[in-house]
Amino acid sequence: MATALLIIHGLVAVALLGAMTHQTLATWAPARARPGSFFGRFRTVPSASFANAIVVLYAAAALLGGIVYLYFRVDIRPDLERAGHWPALGLFDLKEHFVAIGLALLPAYWVCWRHPRADEPARTRAALTSILAFIVWWSFLIGHVLNNMRGFGL
Amino acid sequence: MTSSHAFRRFAFAYGTAFAVLYVVALKLDLALFTVYPSLGIVLLGTHHSRDVSGPSMAFLAPAIYWYGWTATAALEAVMVGVVAAFLPERWTRRFWPGWLWVVPALAMLACVYLTMPWFRLAPPGN
Repeated sequence: MATALLIIHGLVAVALLGAMTHQTLATWAPARARPGSFFGRFRTVPSASFANAIVVLYAAAALLGGIVYLYFRVDIRPDLERAGHWPALGLFDLKEHFVAIGLALLPAYWVCWRHPRADEPARTRAALTSILAFIVWWSFLIGHVLNNMRGFGL
Repeated sequence: MTSSHAFRRFAFAYGTAFAVLYVVALKLDLALFTVYPSLGIVLLGTHHSRDVSGPSMAFLAPAIYWYGWTATAALEAVMVGVVAAFLPERWTRRFWPGWLWVVPALAMLACVYLTMPWFRLAPPGN
């Protein structure tokens, strides 16, 4: 059960990572002309259309992560503590904190993208998107490292 | 006051307030509840092991505080958000939109600071 949930959590995280990265690049470096390169095409996406998907994927990834965390706390973390992997556990703790803060930002993020106001600075929306992108990337990388701790030989 | 304007004020206030209140809950260890997953028990409030004779046996009943910290901050932030939703538009216009990302960014830095003790722990045998 835990393994199945972890795999689904990972798949949702990959989808979220892709959507978030598309949107962030399109927000900071929108392509004005017809793109010729791969990078140009990558960032030529209608940013606002990603907002709904990102909110749903983020919430789903957080929910699945919250469930998997129960197994992690009982079966994995005590072993890591006994082995003295304190920095890795610290980085994972930061993932928990960042994800919680990001989850609370989702309503404001959604409003900024789906119901933007003319007098609202575009920088607010871009900064909010960047913070969420940082959280998503951090969570993905730290989760991946911890999941494969022994494979990395740490 | 339209519902979309009220929801905007709620969302902005909720996101900002949650970031601050989460750091407070983390610093003061204010978990709304503590979960013991191996025992299938949920206790109201923050509970730490008081077993002074064998603290190393804590792994037998590990406690989860993260859900509780998040619930504490979420509950309080909802209250702040609801108050903001009913405030007159002319009051909330004074709110600088930049706080929406500055406050969470600062809260994340505060979380890094509060997590620093983990990185100072020595591995076993040292």
